[in-house]
Amino acid sequence: MKQSITKFKWFWAWQDEKEEEWLAEMAAEGLHLQGFAFPTLYRFQKEQPAKIVYRLDYPGGKKKERDSYLQLFADAGWEHVGDMGGWVYFRRPIQPGAPTEIFSDVESKVQKYARVMLFLVILMPIWIAGRPSFDPESMTVFKNIVLALYTAFMLLWAFAFFKLGQRIKNLKDSAK
Amino acid sequence: MVKNGKLEKQLPLTEATYYILVALMQPQHGYAVMQDVERMSEGTVKLGPGTLYGALTNLEQSKMINKVGEEDRRKIYVITAFGQDVLDTQVDRLKVMIQSAARKHKIAGNKP
Repeated sequence: MKQSITKFKWFWAWQDEKEEEWLAEMAAEGLHLQGFAFPTLYRFQKEQPAKIVYRLDYPGGKKKERDSYLQLFADAGWEHVGDMGGWVYFRRPIQPGAPTEIFSDVESKVQKYARVMLFLVILMPIWIAGRPSFDPESMTVFKNIVLALYTAFMLLWAFAFFKLGQRIKNLKDSAK
Repeated sequence: MVKNGKLEKQLPLTEATYYILVALMQPQHGYAVMQDVERMSEGTVKLGPGTLYGALTNLEQSKMINKVGEEDRRKIYVITAFGQDVLDTQVDRLKVMIQSAARKHKIAGNKP
């Protein structure tokens, strides 16, 4: 009888490596990712502990390209575990001599974060179009809350942009 | 000259891109490219699937390779005439690079 366990965990877009590590730690405890009940809700299956490497990609691109994309990863020995918010989750057992990375050079790793940033740029017109325009003369508690939430999201958006830019810069510096 | 400018923009090729183009002088799918590159480079270039997928997408966008078929969800690509021009130019430059080092060795009196 296999036991299924659901865990809630929040990772920001720039914390993909932290998330990979966490999933590997879970696998070491015998909790193997099965998929997602909902974004941020990780479904695990309790089995034998195992040394597993998890890798996340953010491929972007067209839906019709998806089959050949997943096939290439499968051919290379990577199991597709699930998807969440545009991120694709892969894993493979750690074995001597077997690769543990889905990206083999810095350029392609930089491009992954550039695709995440591109998604954030696409959101910008939505932010601008949806900004609340309240008359400062007639502010209510509700309007103040909306304004505060909007400002918080904007700041978070800007921060995500900054963090991803930093990741790219660090990657480029490490290649020098 | 316009075409030459377009060609220059693609140079120099990265190690990965160079080998991918060489592999695609024969039509093949992604995983076959991965294996071919590892063999040709004597194990020095092992392409991750994320890297290869990104490189194939970029090469297709810059019209250096073309999709020529599909087999069990695997896309088959081949190098285009433009891609071959880029690759040949890169090979010429690499030859110059190798010769220049060889010449300096000779002047310095080193054994080849």
